[in-house]
Amino acid sequence: MNCEVCQLKELEVESFEIREVLRCILHTIVFHRALGLIRPKDIDLELFEITYVQCGEIEVEKKIDEKVDQFISWIEKHPNKKSQICLSFYEVKSKQPSWFTNKIERLYWEQWYINLNVLQPTKAPVGKSHHSKLVMDPGEASEERSSRRTLLEQSLQEVLFQIIKFVNEKKDHVPPINDGVIYCPFEITIPS
Amino acid sequence: MSSSHNRSSNNNNSEGAKAEQIIFEFFAKSLHIILESRTPFMSSRNFSGEQMMCSPSSSSSSSSSVRPRDKWFNLALRECPAALESFDIGRRSTLEPLVVDVVLVVRPLVGDQMNLSGNRELIRNFSGKEYQSSGWNSDQDELGCETKNEQIIERWVVQYDNRKIRESATTSSRRSSSNKLQVMYKKATLLLRSLFVMVRLLPAYKIFRELNSSGQIFKFKLVPRVPSIVEPFTRREEAEMQKFSFTPVETICGRLCLSVLYRSLSDVSCEHSTPMSPTFITDYVGSPLADPLKRFPSLPLSYGSPPLLPFQRRHSWSFDRHKASPPSVSCSPSPTRSDSHALVSHPCSRNLPPQPSEMPTGRRKESYAEEYSPYQDFSPPPSPSAPIQAVSRGITRTESAPVRIPAPTFQTKQNIVAPSPHLKLSRHTSLKPVRDFGPGESGSAIDKLYLYGRDDFRKHSGMRLSSNSSPRISFSRSSSRSYQDDVDDPDFPCPFDVEYDDITDRSSRPGSFDHRGDIHEPLESSGSFPKKSQDAAVGALVRMLKKAPPLRQDVSESSIPEICWNNNKPARAQEIAVASITASGIALASKTTADAMEELRTYKEMKNHLLLSQSTSNPSSVTATSPFDA
Repeated sequence: MNCEVCQLKELEVESFEIREVLRCILHTIVFHRALGLIRPKDIDLELFEITYVQCGEIEVEKKIDEKVDQFISWIEKHPNKKSQICLSFYEVKSKQPSWFTNKIERLYWEQWYINLNVLQPTKAPVGKSHHSKLVMDPGEASEERSSRRTLLEQSLQEVLFQIIKFVNEKKDHVPPINDGVIYCPFEITIPS
Repeated sequence: MSSSHNRSSNNNNSEGAKAEQIIFEFFAKSLHIILESRTPFMSSRNFSGEQMMCSPSSSSSSSSSVRPRDKWFNLALRECPAALESFDIGRRSTLEPLVVDVVLVVRPLVGDQMNLSGNRELIRNFSGKEYQSSGWNSDQDELGCETKNEQIIERWVVQYDNRKIRESATTSSRRSSSNKLQVMYKKATLLLRSLFVMVRLLPAYKIFRELNSSGQIFKFKLVPRVPSIVEPFTRREEAEMQKFSFTPVETICGRLCLSVLYRSLSDVSCEHSTPMSPTFITDYVGSPLADPLKRFPSLPLSYGSPPLLPFQRRHSWSFDRHKASPPSVSCSPSPTRSDSHALVSHPCSRNLPPQPSEMPTGRRKESYAEEYSPYQDFSPPPSPSAPIQAVSRGITRTESAPVRIPAPTFQTKQNIVAPSPHLKLSRHTSLKPVRDFGPGESGSAIDKLYLYGRDDFRKHSGMRLSSNSSPRISFSRSSSRSYQDDVDDPDFPCPFDVEYDDITDRSSRPGSFDHRGDIHEPLESSGSFPKKSQDAAVGALVRMLKKAPPLRQDVSESSIPEICWNNNKPARAQEIAVASITASGIALASKTTADAMEELRTYKEMKNHLLLSQSTSNPSSVTATSPFDA
């Protein structure tokens, strides 16, 4: 089985926008790969007029939030860097257990690369990026901020369309639906 | 060999049936996803929100509440009756394409050009072109005003294309067919996941969200339709729209296709939707702003009758009578001198804005009918105007009754004797409330009212009533009589529902009331009534009415002096007298027994005076004993 790779369009985000953007993209992808019985949840972004969908699994939400927090921490230590987050779906293949190894092999069948260009924050303090409620920096020029926000919203929508197109065009590599499996196992890799 | 062939054919049939079932459910699920995100107030977002408040593990909690339809494609959605109904109606065959049109309906107000222009602006922003260009259907009423504009902003097409016969359909391998069914089902599931996300990314979803979430009233609405007859778009319309086609899902005998044509949305938001925010209606019925008195002088006499502020006051009395409490509603009209006289001010009414909720319906109707100035802002009453006019006229005269009790009128009435039977009857019929206080004494009770008429006391200054009583009594009597003449309303609860003739009849016995001096005192104050302005008198009367407690308790507590009328039943007559006053709704503020006795004394003096005058003119006449003589 080949591994399908999808490179998503690069997004220019500010530090306080990372959380919302990443959650939107990651949940959308995972939702498309949650082929078990789910009750989808609509989530409205606070910074953009976009509604994305979550699969409704708490474990998925926790896993994604954890990785997003880790990435934000990394960004704070490495500002002004283009970063890439990789979301990989795999199948668990257990190798023949031997005396020495009892590895569980992962066969990745799909990888998504989320490209972010984190802009240097102007006056936003460090703690703000961790807040769930994002507060606009009052010091920024409102017009410049709004135009940039509009562009980001459009780009984010394009990314979501890109995900939909990719999911529609490539379906053969997706593993069959297994009973009891709600979502395909995945892992999120952040730069180190 | 034949058995294997039969088995394979049977398997193919079963596989085909399963495939057909998958296709059927795919249509249903697609429709469900589209409609739940386009039908206002039917959205899985609420469903999701509820889920968030429920148990954290959706899978564990969902198992107990999973409907059979939810299991299809492993997508549990909120119940959408519109989807089910549309699907039941629309689906006759899986071969027929399922079309869902999402229509934006804009309803400009008739004659509201501003709104129409705003709607045009909305549509222009929405489509990027003039709304008249294409795709808009307008309905016009017989007046030629546009009442509705519709535009299809989305068209979803779900169809099963079975023209292309797949080679796999001919394979006899059961395993491959089964595998293909699984693959088909998996791909259909993936497609529906994409559809679920897609419907929330398209521009129409913004409108759906605004309609659902905002509490404002918009001039447009989103109407998803499943047309039985699909009108294809014109080339121009199609050029204005964007198309997205989902990758078809290969099936055993064809493929499932799903596509959408949608209009781009330049700027559709609350700002451009010009929603109608709720506004406070300040000039609601009964509000101070709608006080008729403020605008009364400027209003034309549309009903051909004098203004009806007195009318209002009258109804306030009736209301007061019913409630046995001071009238809380003013609409308090100023008294009118006569039908032709202009109104006078009545400050008390201004202080008490009308309260329609407390007003009887009849009053409100009449008020609407007559109070043209203040009630112009109100919707016309449902009742026909004719009876209202009759009532109004009657009320007008009624309201003018106090003015029509002048001293000369009283003087000319020489035959204040026991009420004649017919008068009694008429009074009986007109004084329904009075009857409640004494069986069959309404007539005599009315007589008491006559005797307590303000004119009597005014004429004979020695007598006086309490300030609370006489004016109201006189008003009520005359007003009730006039009213009764015009409106045969047996339930009319006017305390002054007394024939005017009775006033004149009873005025011949003023002396019978001069029983107590204290009764005179109020009359003295009211004796100056003709000298005072009508407004002040009516205002005083209204104030008395408002402050007056129920008279019932006065009947039982007060010691009633014997008053003998024609039947030589002093005690009973006295009771009747007081009871009549009570029953008539004259809430005599702080009326005491002493006041009542004062009135009796006054009448007694009047009677004696008349008798003396008669005796001097005719010495042979028998001096009638005063019924009030104890």
